[in-house]
This record gives sequence, C-alpha cells and structure tokens, in this order.
Amino acid sequence: MLRGFSKIVAASALALGGAGLLAGPAIAQSSFPTRRIEVIYPWTPGTPTYAVSQIIANAMGNNLGVNMPVVAKTGASGVNAFDQALAQPADGYSVIDGYVAPLVISPLFKKANWNCGDFVPLYSATSNAFAVVSRADEKRWTDFPSFIKYLKAHPGKTRYTASAQLSLPHMVMAKVLKTVGAVARNVPYNDLADGTKDLRSGLLDWMVVNPGIYRANKKEFRVLAVLSGLKEVSKIYDGAKRAQDYGVDIGLHSLAPMGWDWWLVKKGTPAPVVAKLRAAMGKALAEPAVHNKILQIGFVPTSYKPDQYSKVCTSVRQQLQAAMGAITWETNELKKYH
Amino acid sequence: MMTGAFIAGAGLFFTPMTVLMTALGCLLGIVIGVLPGLGPLMGIILLTPLAFHLPPVEAMGLLIAVYVGGSCGGAISAILVRIPGTPLAAATLLDGHPMHLKGKSREAVGLAISASAMGGLIGGLFLVFLAPLLAAVALRFGPPEYFALTLLGLISIAVVSGEETTKGLMAGLMGLLVATVGADPFSSTYRFTFGYNPLLGGFNIVAIVVGLFALSEMFIQITSGHLTEKPQVPWVKTSFDSIGAALSRWVNLLRSSLIGTFFGILPGAGGVISAFTSYAVARANSKHPELFGTGVEDGVIASEAANNACCGGAMIPTLALAIPGDASTAVLMGALILLGFFPGPDLFSKHADVVGGIFLAYIAANVFLLVLGILLTPFFVSVIKIRKSYLIPIVLLLSCIGTYAIQGSAFDLWVMLGFGVVGYILRRFDYPLAPIVIGAVLGPICESSLRRSLILSGNNVDIFFNRPISAAILIIDIALILWIALPRGLKSTIRGRAIGLMKLAPEKGGPD
Repeated sequence: MLRGFSKIVAASALALGGAGLLAGPAIAQSSFPTRRIEVIYPWTPGTPTYAVSQIIANAMGNNLGVNMPVVAKTGASGVNAFDQALAQPADGYSVIDGYVAPLVISPLFKKANWNCGDFVPLYSATSNAFAVVSRADEKRWTDFPSFIKYLKAHPGKTRYTASAQLSLPHMVMAKVLKTVGAVARNVPYNDLADGTKDLRSGLLDWMVVNPGIYRANKKEFRVLAVLSGLKEVSKIYDGAKRAQDYGVDIGLHSLAPMGWDWWLVKKGTPAPVVAKLRAAMGKALAEPAVHNKILQIGFVPTSYKPDQYSKVCTSVRQQLQAAMGAITWETNELKKYH
Repeated sequence: MMTGAFIAGAGLFFTPMTVLMTALGCLLGIVIGVLPGLGPLMGIILLTPLAFHLPPVEAMGLLIAVYVGGSCGGAISAILVRIPGTPLAAATLLDGHPMHLKGKSREAVGLAISASAMGGLIGGLFLVFLAPLLAAVALRFGPPEYFALTLLGLISIAVVSGEETTKGLMAGLMGLLVATVGADPFSSTYRFTFGYNPLLGGFNIVAIVVGLFALSEMFIQITSGHLTEKPQVPWVKTSFDSIGAALSRWVNLLRSSLIGTFFGILPGAGGVISAFTSYAVARANSKHPELFGTGVEDGVIASEAANNACCGGAMIPTLALAIPGDASTAVLMGALILLGFFPGPDLFSKHADVVGGIFLAYIAANVFLLVLGILLTPFFVSVIKIRKSYLIPIVLLLSCIGTYAIQGSAFDLWVMLGFGVVGYILRRFDYPLAPIVIGAVLGPICESSLRRSLILSGNNVDIFFNRPISAAILIIDIALILWIALPRGLKSTIRGRAIGLMKLAPEKGGPD
C-alpha cells in the first residue's frame, strides 16, 4: 500500500512539476514580485549616495510589497557590481543602481565591455553636481576668476583632488582646466572624505566636492564655482555661481558634468516585470517625502523617463569621450613642469 | 557643551525601547562576531533597513551596539576554536587560544570581554570629552604620516612572529603581495587580474582571514583524527572575576586602550592594526616577552582592549568631521544620514541632543557587552563540548555563509578555500599566519600613502622628513629595523649592559 502511495505522490509531483515548467514563466511574471528584490549598488555602503538609494528602494519596496535591500558590491570603479548583476538571471529580482562611472566611463576606458543598450531602464534617480572649493580662509584667491589667474601664474604647482584617477569628477575638472588653460597636480583619493581631511590640513590647495562632502564641511569651504549648467544646482551649494556665470563654458552639458544614476535591469527582463518595476519606481520618486529626503541630502531627483534613457546615455557618452582627451592633456602638461 | 549634550541626550536615550534596542544590538553583535566571516560591518549592514524605521537615537543605539558587540565577539571563537570570528580578533588568538589549551577557557573569554568593554569605555571617554579636539589631531595625519605609521605596523610582524622572524617576514611579504591584486587606484590599471573580472576588486580580507584561520584549523582537526570523541570539558560557572583580572593589569589595559583610540581616530587605520600594534607594544614592554604566544593574559588584554577602544576612536572623526574612521563607522554614518542627520561640526551645534544620545548609547553598549558577555560565557564555552564530527561541518557551513554574505560573491568562497589550503600548508611548516593578515591589511594603505605623498611633494622624499610627526615615526621605524637586524648575540649583550646600567644608576644617585 505504501509503495502505491509513493507512486501516486511521485506521479503527482511529476505532473505538477511539468505543469509548473510550462506555466512557470507566465505565473512568475503575473505574480511578480514574490520575494525580495536586490538593488545592486556599486560603491561602499554608508555614503550619502547609498542613503539616497536606500530611500528610493524603501519607497519602491513599499509600493511592490517586498523588501528591497541595497546591496553594496564594491571594487573596480563599479565594474564589479555590474559584472555580478549581469551574472544574475534577467528576472527583475536584481535591479542595478547604474551610476555613470561603471555604465559609461568604464566602457570608454575599455575597462568593461557593455554599453547602454545592454540594460533596460526603469527611471533615472538622482544627479549630484560637483563644485570646486578651497579652504574658507584661503588668501591666494578670492573667487573663480582670481583662482584661475593664480593657477595660470603657477602652472603645476597647486595640488588638488577630484576623487580617484580617471573618475568622473577628475574628467570634468581636467576639462575645465584644459578649457581655461591652467595646469594643476591631481592627487588621487579613493574617497573624497580623505581628500577633504588633507585639504583642511593644508596638504591640498583645492578640490572638487560633491553635495554630501560640501554639506558636512560647508563652514570649512569656499565654493569657487559649481560645475553644472543647471541653474537649480546652485541652490545645493547655497547659491554659489556656476562656471558659466564667469564666462567659462566647460563644454559639458545636461547630465554630462554630473554624477547620476539610472536604475536598470538586465536586457531580456520580461516586459510585464519591467512595467511593474517602472510603475513602482515612478510612484516612489513622485512621493513628496522621498523627493524632500533626497534634496535634504543634497541630491537632485532627475526623474528622466525610460524613453529618454537612450538619448541621455548616448549624449553623455559622446561628451565624456571628448573629456577623456583632457586627462591626457593634463598628464602631458604636468610633465613640462616636473 | 558635553554636559548639555548629555542632559539633552538622556531624554532621548533613557526610554525603555532605546535601552532595550541597545541591549539587543549588543547581544546580536556578540553572536554575529562569534560567527566566522560575519563581523560588525555585516551586522550593521543587515540591521540598517530596520533602523530606518526607528527614532534616531533608538536606531543608532541598535547599530552602535552591534558595532561594539561585534568587535568583541570574534575573540570568543578565536580563543575557543582558534578561529577569529572577525579579522579584528586575529591578534587575540595568539595568546587566547593557548590559554584555552591550558584549560583556562573561561578565564580567557572573560578576560577578552572585560578588556574589550573597558577598552571601549576608555575609547568612549575620549569620544565624549575630546571628540572635537582629537578630530583636529586626525587632520594632522596626512599621507606621509600614514606611510610612516603603516611601516611601523609592518615592522610589528617581526614582533608577533616570535622566534620565527624570517618565516614571519616571508608570510608578511606574502600578505603584501596578495594586497597588490586588483585595480591600481592611481592609474586605474589592473594588477595580477589575468583578465579575470572577479579579481578586479582584489581579494576580500574576510575571505582571506576565514580561509587562513578557520579552514586551515578545520583541515588540521580533520587530519588529527578523534572526530567522534566527546571532549570532556567541565561546565563552567558565570564569574565576574575577570573584570578584576583585567583591572589588575591596568597599565597594559590603559596603554592598549590609548593605542586603540589613537588608531581609531585616524580614518582608515582600523582595529586590525591597532590590535596587532598593541599586542606588539605589550610584548615589547613585558618582563617576559618570550612567554607571549604561549597563553599569557596580557596578550589577550592588549589586542581586545585596543580593538574595542578603536570603536570609540573611530566614531570621533565620523561624528565630528564626517570622515568615517573605518568601514563600520562609514555605514553608521550612512545610517545617520538616512535618519536625517548630517555628521560634522553642525551636528554638535544643531543636534546636541542626538549627539548626547549617541554618546550615551555607545557607553551603554559597552556596559551591556560586559554584563551580557560574561553572563553568556558558560554558554559559549559549552560549544567546545561538541564532538568534532559535528563541530567541523557547522564551522565550515558558517564560514561559507559568513564569507558569501559579505558581497554575495561565490568567488569569495573559492578565495576562502584557496587561503584555507595555503594556511594549512604554512602551518604544517610552522609559518605564522598573522603576518599575512597584517601585510594584506596594511599593504594597500602603505602603498597608497607612499604614492600619494610623492605626488603631493612632486617626487621629493623630503616630505617624509619635513613634517615633524612623520619624521618622528620614521626615526622609530628605522631604529626598530636596525634593532631587528642586529644579530641575536649582540642584542643580548646590549640588553645585558642596559640592565647593568639601570642597576648602577641608583648607586650613583645615592649619598653623594
């Protein structure tokens, strides 16, 4: 009798398994999500950008009825996180917090072999514009024009940091320096917070900061120029002028001179799953509480729609390709003075 | 200012839920720390989403207590099963495990917990009363000072290697070599990655430590046999006498706590360096340095007091300058930002109540660590009663879970296995393993500080000698290297003459 019962159980299991295999994808898509969705974040946890991602993920998770932990996978300027995300199935349970560095810059430097088309966009999340700052008590210059004048008079002498070598802030700053014809010595720091310490102690002469670093140290800094063409960005830096307000066109427009992230899923993710994720993210970004929290940290919610992704990504790629030349220029110019 | 902050913070901290959350965090931290691979960092990351829904001081109390408990928990497994639950406890096993082998398991665990809690409290006093002042000291440490300090840390390899200095240095060099794998931060080129993407981020330090210590120990246990024998270990009672034992060695306790706090306030230095440096200093100052490594109490006190004092120290630049002292405080800082408070000078002036609440939570976490840790010691010690045939699979499973959880990377599991095999082979040939950890942790800081210093100075080495702090540390480095390089016979002669001179000194200063 037991043997008969076992056969029935086995046959039932086989039948259910077979039916499950056939109906699985359709059921999975209609009931999505049934478990937690990971947001793969490419930087160290604990930074202001991590906090922003967690705020969006929490609101989005509430809309979807599942947890959305932000999982930090660090290393190799974000390439590691993208690699690991691409190794996951295209089922919508791994959302990539797609920062410009691993998405656009790493492929430009041939450190990664993907392009914008390998991902399906949800929404753009935030942007953070950079600014050039010096110590608040700096006597050698008072504003951006006198700063540029000093740099030109002392080529290769001042020391600055713009985060890691070949990072976006470094590319943007090199482009600014090339545009105005000034040369300074870049000192790479993996973490801008460490650079801040050395600026405050006098080892560095000036640096490029993001809103989080500015917010935490604003009394110690004098903002010389905001490196963005967007007017609203000045507010983040307490009304400081943009480079273009001094007549300096850095040649980078829209999102190109700024850090930004676009939340993405792997190409091949089923359309109904993408639609659900998009709806949840769109709703989350539209919530006033989420919007205000992001602004409070110093970031600007961008809310570009999915259909704008391709255009924005391609345009940024083209502009940054031009900015790459500025780093080569900086390296060559520095050799003349050392 | 601090009194006002305390009074304002007391209202936020002394609520039943906040106190309960702090106690719960401490308990979770100890357990997370005990498990191989899972350390305070992972504990804080796991609990941050929960903290997001709590009031600020309650949330920070929970997370800070995990940080404090987790920084100590690793010592328990280091002592009892020779597996540091976290890299922080790698120095603790040098004397902690030999104490266990001598049948002093309860004493060793109790001592580690007492020293941790008291070290944490001493670090806390600095945090509470001198945070802004010490933050200013941290600013004086630039790349040249970091280079000199990390060099000092690397020299400590020779000290922790005991009699096996050459083997220790070789192991240290292996650690340095391992640390070079991955993306070069200065040129963004890849080193020793062989076109294999998982190597881009280098080897994860947790995978290295778990592999070297936990897996190699399990391999040794397996090959040594007696897998089904039940160890005859008597049940131990809860006893608070370890507090007295730690306090009786107050010079070491205080010195180690100061070393821990000092390394804590230097962003990026961290608890691992502080523990090894403190251990090396304790050994150098001991009347019986030759006994270190054989199960001396001072060894356990030195490393544990330092790595927990480091927590208080690391919170100083985090809160006062918004510059995280280590990876765990970086996540704590992120949680604080998530809760709507930006660290930095403004936090002290605009939200003194929250700062006061955080300070109280940190102090309470250390008190909970002392009480809960000692109460739970009999439970932890009972783990060693488990038969090897059960214990080994459990440890291996937990090692895999802990290592995988760090980055969700299967590659890290292979790294862990690889270092497990390397650790097993090295131990078979009597090579010390701790120097590999020191090399792997200090290597990247030492290299980047050297290169950054040279860029800052335009390739002029004067930068290391023009700055007083850097120059002073480098002179100590050079003196220590010369001392280590001296032949053993010459060292004994110098020591003998020095002792002779010290004996003569009182006579000279006598009646005349």
